[in-house]
Amino acid sequence: MIGADVVEIAPVINDREVFLSVPVRMTLAEMLRDRLDLFGVKLSCEMQVCGVCTVLVDGQPVSSCTYLAADADGRRVSTIEGLAEGEQLHPLQQAFVDHFALQCGFCTPGFIMMAKHLLDRSPDPTRDEVVEYLDGNLCRCTGYAPIVDAVLDAAGRLRAEP
Amino acid sequence: MGVLPAFRLLRPRSVSEAVGWLNYDRLAYAGGTELLLAMREGLLRPTHLVDLKGIEGLGSVEESSGEVTIGALVTHTQAADHPIVGARLPGLAGVLQRVGNPRVRATGTLAGNLCFAEPRSDVAAALIAQEGEVEIASPQGRRRMAVRDFVVGPYSTALEPGELLTRIHVPIRPDVRFVYVKHQTAERPALGVALSVNSHVSVVVGAVGLSPQAFEVGSLSALDVAEVAARVEVVPDLTGSEEYKRHLVEVYLRRAIGRLERGE
Ligand SMILES: Cc1cc2nc3c(=O)[nH]c(=O)nc-3n(C[C@H](O)[C@H](O)[C@H](O)COP(=O)(O)OP(=O)(O)OC[C@H]3O[C@@H](n4cnc5c(N)ncnc54)[C@H](O)[C@@H]3O)c2cc1C
Repeated sequence: MIGADVVEIAPVINDREVFLSVPVRMTLAEMLRDRLDLFGVKLSCEMQVCGVCTVLVDGQPVSSCTYLAADADGRRVSTIEGLAEGEQLHPLQQAFVDHFALQCGFCTPGFIMMAKHLLDRSPDPTRDEVVEYLDGNLCRCTGYAPIVDAVLDAAGRLRAEP
Repeated sequence: MGVLPAFRLLRPRSVSEAVGWLNYDRLAYAGGTELLLAMREGLLRPTHLVDLKGIEGLGSVEESSGEVTIGALVTHTQAADHPIVGARLPGLAGVLQRVGNPRVRATGTLAGNLCFAEPRSDVAAALIAQEGEVEIASPQGRRRMAVRDFVVGPYSTALEPGELLTRIHVPIRPDVRFVYVKHQTAERPALGVALSVNSHVSVVVGAVGLSPQAFEVGSLSALDVAEVAARVEVVPDLTGSEEYKRHLVEVYLRRAIGRLERGE
């Protein structure tokens, strides 16, 4: 039969190159959680609607629930686990803590990865831009306002960094 | 966790290789934003996915002889951010910036959107109003047709099994004024209205019915919004009843005209 059902891939996950053999039907979320123990990647709607499985692939936000692990070959994948430097939280993470921008925390990795992408390409967004950009992520605890505050605050902290 | 059903992956390097592999059971795969969801739901059961992403030459946006050509692998984000689209098709760029959410825009392609022919498509409604065309490759050769004829019905296009949409062509028309407005409370639009105006007026109403519907009139003053709202075919669903959707069509058509008249 033609076509592969298993492929060898070499993605760079949080700055570390890994070599894996994955079934082609395996999603990136399954690979990150089940093979690499990166449990910051959550799964919920599995329809690209809720945003909890968001990771960055070559800097672009993707829903890892509906992205084939096979397609990550040779690409840079960033998850929430890659943001902090040792004990030093990333400014986005610190701002989420400072603004109480989470309660149960389930949606937080997805929000932070989306916000990371937004601030990477637009370091000084308006409040409306933040709201519009994050409207594909769901949070059932906070009512969103503290999340938007945290992102705007983090943007300021990142701009102030040398 | 919803596991994807088993399939095998094919990775063609050229259009002719892809076309040789595609058939009823071997489906084209680009961003997967529709296809993988439909497979997980058991709605599509391909034996093979033919991954188009390794095909050279389908990932570019180009301008030539009065039109912009958008390759089948170009994502919503890439098209919206592309300087040629921004300069020549600013109306389309605006539509693409508001498709779904940023993750769908980063992986989903315009071509995949057209080929899936989901009734709630902003892309199809906008491209019909802009008189876009698609280029199709098959073992027999190439053909070109209007997007209007390509989208046949809900989840149905003029593509035969084994055919590949390779490029989308959109005419550059500085003489045409274009406005697109949509009503959206969740990811997909509940209503999209595209308005193209020059020597005649073309209205395309999307998302409320089974397919985008086009209405042509001679001039803006001859456009009877109440009549369009009464004539448009609407299907009641979770986004609203028939009465509500007709009301939306009328309100949004008025808004579109207002924006056009104010030059927005
Ligand atoms: C949460 C969500 C929200 C969305 N919101 C919107 C919205 O607001 N407005 C809107 O317009 N759309 C919306 N969409 C639809 C989105 O635009 C499409 O999912 C996307 O563009 C499809 O492209 P793809 O590359 O992922 O296609 P795929 O999923 O890879 O393919 C889709 C279908 O087309 C076929 N196909 C793909 N490429 C080709 C080709 N070149 N030739 C032949 N067949 C091909 C595949 O076989 C498959 O049947 C939304 C989707 C999601 C999941």
